[in-house]
Amino acid sequence: MPEIHVDSLVKQFGDQRALSDVSFHVAEGELFTLLGPSGCGKSTTLMSIAGFQSPEEGRIAVGGDVFFDASRRVSIPAERRNLGIVFQSYAVWPHMTVFQNLAFPLKVRKRKRAGIRERVHEVLDLVEMGDYGDRYPHQLSGGQQQRVALARALVYSPSVLLLDEPFSNLDAKLRERARAWVKELQSRLGLTTIFVTHDQDEALSMSDRVAVMSSGEVQQIGTPEEIYRRPSNRFVAGFVGRVNLLSGTVAAAERGRVALELPDGRKLWVDAEHTATPNARLTLAVRPEALRVEPADASTLNGSNTIEARVESVAFLGDHYQYELRAGGLVLTAQTARPVATDHVMVHIPADACAIVE
Amino acid sequence: MTSTTYEAAAPLRRRRNLPTAGTLQWLTWVVVVGLILGPFVPLLYASVRDRPLYEAGGAFTLSAYGDLLADPAFWRAARHTLEYAALTTAISVVAGAAVAILVTRTDLPGRKVFGRLTLLPLLLPSLGLVLGWIVVWGPGGYLSSLIQRHLHLGTLDINTIPGMSVIEATRLLPVAYMTCEAALARADSSLEDAARSAGATPLRVLRNVTIPMLRPALLNAGTLIFTLSIASLGIPLLLGTPHNIQFVSTYLYLQWTNAATPDSPIVSAGAVLLLAVATVLLLIRNRLLGAEARYVSVAGKAGRTALLSLRAWRWPLAALIALYLLFSTIVPVLGLALMSFVAFVTPLIAPWHLFTWSNWQLLGTGVYLRSIEHSALLALAGGIATTAVVALATLVAHRSRLPVRRSLPFVMLYPRAIPGLIIGIGFFWAYLLTGAPGSWLRQGIWGILLAFCIRNLPFAYVVMYPTMARIGEELDRAGRSVGAGWWRTCRSIVLPLLRPALFASFILMFVEILNDYDPALFLVRPGTEVIGTTMLDTFLQGIVGPVASLAMVQVGVTVLVLALGTFVFKIRVTGGHDA
Repeated sequence: MPEIHVDSLVKQFGDQRALSDVSFHVAEGELFTLLGPSGCGKSTTLMSIAGFQSPEEGRIAVGGDVFFDASRRVSIPAERRNLGIVFQSYAVWPHMTVFQNLAFPLKVRKRKRAGIRERVHEVLDLVEMGDYGDRYPHQLSGGQQQRVALARALVYSPSVLLLDEPFSNLDAKLRERARAWVKELQSRLGLTTIFVTHDQDEALSMSDRVAVMSSGEVQQIGTPEEIYRRPSNRFVAGFVGRVNLLSGTVAAAERGRVALELPDGRKLWVDAEHTATPNARLTLAVRPEALRVEPADASTLNGSNTIEARVESVAFLGDHYQYELRAGGLVLTAQTARPVATDHVMVHIPADACAIVE
Repeated sequence: MTSTTYEAAAPLRRRRNLPTAGTLQWLTWVVVVGLILGPFVPLLYASVRDRPLYEAGGAFTLSAYGDLLADPAFWRAARHTLEYAALTTAISVVAGAAVAILVTRTDLPGRKVFGRLTLLPLLLPSLGLVLGWIVVWGPGGYLSSLIQRHLHLGTLDINTIPGMSVIEATRLLPVAYMTCEAALARADSSLEDAARSAGATPLRVLRNVTIPMLRPALLNAGTLIFTLSIASLGIPLLLGTPHNIQFVSTYLYLQWTNAATPDSPIVSAGAVLLLAVATVLLLIRNRLLGAEARYVSVAGKAGRTALLSLRAWRWPLAALIALYLLFSTIVPVLGLALMSFVAFVTPLIAPWHLFTWSNWQLLGTGVYLRSIEHSALLALAGGIATTAVVALATLVAHRSRLPVRRSLPFVMLYPRAIPGLIIGIGFFWAYLLTGAPGSWLRQGIWGILLAFCIRNLPFAYVVMYPTMARIGEELDRAGRSVGAGWWRTCRSIVLPLLRPALFASFILMFVEILNDYDPALFLVRPGTEVIGTTMLDTFLQGIVGPVASLAMVQVGVTVLVLALGTFVFKIRVTGGHDA
């Protein structure tokens, strides 16, 4: 399985800049996710790799093959890139049976009839659809169609697999099962895969690495943990999960630690490899579930980074409680597994749970 | 299953990038654009020469335009055409919109059947229907004299401009109906529901929401109908010419056939002027269609309840529409049938005393038999050829990345706006100027076929395009991604999904080519007659019997083919003539 190199893609739609300087590299056998809101350029990037969009600038190479190079005016037609794609709508051809859908790529490759039959059945078994060869797509459920689409993308052993929001048409329960199943299949086959989604849960749970995109630019590339725990900017912090953003000025900086003075004069100590100059403005991101919240009258919390706050509202969300807290001018969102049955609480912001985003 | 079985499969065999797809796309574009726009070049050329193109010598001059514009007869004809077109447009748009609203927005009894029947005049042979009108409503016609004798009431004289307009309006009413019906079906009914819940009565909703929403459709239909009635040749020729009422179309036709110098440049000049007017109207229409997008609300819901309850008006209105359909379509067809079985048409003698088979027996002989054979052959060959070429062109227009693809939809819809006589004259000059292939086309029936195909090809496109637009683009992208080239993807994925539209297109083309006549009037020569030209020719000689039986052949085959299409192929041939 080859690597994928995407270098400095630029794509313009009229006045709209759809991609500006998009670069990344996908390692062999890796599941790499492009995550972002709609219109961020993730699908344009994927379709550029597939050959259905032509960027104005940049270079795309898979393994040793250059698919696209704007400076040398190279663009291999989509049908000769040998990629497997699962489309958002699945695009299972409605006038062909499941068997015919899978046989078509092999017929195009002029394979022998017997070989085609054997290979199609092999791949149908792989996606656990062995009994459905004679069915037409309209006789299948959404989940089954998705498996057929995946099987069709695998049947000719493509060099890499591209998944364009493949789970967005499934209902919530089925989606979770399908995720686990696709991930398992992908790692078993060792397929280099690019996966496009707008769903952060999907991205975090399936990916080896994630590229978060926004308005045509790659904001951050990293493992799911890095993206979640150490977002590199406000957008990433806000898009991947809920977050508290705290802005202030640097009051002191020592090795590995920075003290941030909030507008109301309170100081927060933060673990950070940050060469902060005093009085510079900084913004911190803290996840709601990282905050520790206890009733004010029975709190064991004290010392630094602990704030007294009032509960503004509380919401029960099944597996956790979500609190809106106010401490002077500071508004915080916190999550706890158990209810805190008072209006006055103590909040502790752990120094190692803060990420500097600006 | 392990990863080894997955890796075992051989990779895609690398093939050379054959230039076929691009070449095929360009070839399609060149052929379609060349055939549609090509004939206008010699037409334009012929109009600025001082003598017919087949005569040696000659020089450039604008004298043909000067002569034409200096001829008072031309101006009289232009005035008549304008009155005729305006009146036709007014009648058919108002009536068509009213029927459309009644059918889609009220609880009119039998509205679905009425909706279908309203389309009939569009599909039935127009020349035959006009003949039917003459038999039934003409001076000395069956119904007009019956009403005069027994009720002592005058009927509308169909040999006047208003009379002809009424006939033309019944022929073109389906165009207005279809445009409005489509707009109403598209319109989001929640807009109307919102007005009702805001306290408006149904009538108020109709006046303040439904009809204003229909405005772009009305303008669009009106422009198209105006264009079509300017270009109309059959009704003016059959009804106006005998009473010396000239129209631009008949003026040009008679100049062509009767003038001292045949094929004079004046006719070409007139055709160019007519072409210019039609083109301007088409451009206006395209602007209107663009404006219509503003009014398009998301897809309407199926099975909505009727907005407006007609109450006491239900049955009277249903009866009115039924009477209209009866007297405008069914009675003329019956009159035509009757005419084909009598020795001569007169209300004074009971038809069974005049019964004869001879009009039908004549069809087995000479020019009549030849015309029927030619028409059947042309309809069959033209239906297949046009469907194939238009399918390919539609694929190029909507499913390729050919740089010039966006010009194709406009070019393919263009012939709809061009008068048939212009296409006829254009092809006449084109064949004359293209040497051996042109003269081969001119000698045989295939030249007529080409003109018919070009003339009617917009119908094939408007049938195919909506179906093509519904085939999701990811389906062909999936084809490309698994390794199939453009043509392979079209052949294996898009065309099979397009099959119902291909059948519908064939059926529609068959019917339209079978019943078409006006481009052929300029191309026909002894030995290459088709049904339409023979009917017109025979009628102008004063013989009506065999004309009626020929028309009945057209009606019969048309109805049969449409029924076959509807029931066997499950096609709904409504044509989408509004596009």
